[in-house]
Amino acid sequence: MAPDWHALHGSVKEHVGRSTRQRLGPMSAAQFQRFAVAVGDLNPRYFDPEAAREQGFPGVVAPPLYLTSVLGWQAGPAEDELRPDGAESEVMAGVPLEGVRLMGAGQEVELSHPVCDGTDVTLEVSVDDVELKHGGSGQFLILRLLRRYLDDRGTELMRCRETFIAR
Amino acid sequence: MSAGVSFEEVAPGAAITPLVKRPTNVQLFRFSAVTWNAHRIHYDTAYAHTEGYPDVLVQSHLHGCFLVQAVLDWAGPRARLRRFSWQNRRFALPGDVLTCSGKVTATEVHDTVGLVTCELEERNQDGELCAPGWATIELPRATVMGNDHGA
Repeated sequence: MAPDWHALHGSVKEHVGRSTRQRLGPMSAAQFQRFAVAVGDLNPRYFDPEAAREQGFPGVVAPPLYLTSVLGWQAGPAEDELRPDGAESEVMAGVPLEGVRLMGAGQEVELSHPVCDGTDVTLEVSVDDVELKHGGSGQFLILRLLRRYLDDRGTELMRCRETFIAR
Repeated sequence: MSAGVSFEEVAPGAAITPLVKRPTNVQLFRFSAVTWNAHRIHYDTAYAHTEGYPDVLVQSHLHGCFLVQAVLDWAGPRARLRRFSWQNRRFALPGDVLTCSGKVTATEVHDTVGLVTCELEERNQDGELCAPGWATIELPRATVMGNDHGA
């Protein structure tokens, strides 16, 4: 059933500017190294503590897009609770988006400090903007989310503005 | 990975060394696994057909990762990525040959660090633009030492 786009637009718009926080916990070198291996990017700064220190880092660091590429940080739903397309039901920044398919259209990231093995990360998410569009294939939403990744002292490690098309 | 470049060695127009990536089904599976992405479009060919695609699709974020790898491989071990953005314009499939390339568009000294802005692009074997990107990297300056902080 097609969503009520006007109602959805209105409910998302109410959330613009509000933020939610989630503690992701300590980052694991094994996890971000698996990510680098999956990408096929074997830069020594991700794997070799000595090479990383020679490059001026305190130890191995996560690839720049590791934090912003991981879709889920918790256990997630059981298989029979996934949508038919395999995705989790979309809840973004506390906004329920039932019946909607989200496609990532790109990101803008700003990196301030390295993410290292053991860095304790908290994610803050807010809806930056939402627009209702009318295209050739019907209505859709353009959603822009701001994600800020903070360490355990509240220092911003990186931020990411991501644009999604919700159809 | 190259030995890298210093700030003084680059000027607008300088080419980023091209990086060729050939995504495979195994690569897409592992990228989905490590990012906890269960969407069928990345591993279920029959499902991809129902959405009108000829095969499973390279993940949006993997396009971005390829562009980051290209610029950091070129820039070398002392470079820091400060800003990066990309857009997904066209899908890519396992077996595609994706070439990531680019050029320097501007250089500036900000306080004591050298900042280099680059335009990037990822094209498939038919020359179609899959993902444009933009990066700002901090590069060591030959005259300034101790440039040790950052991502």
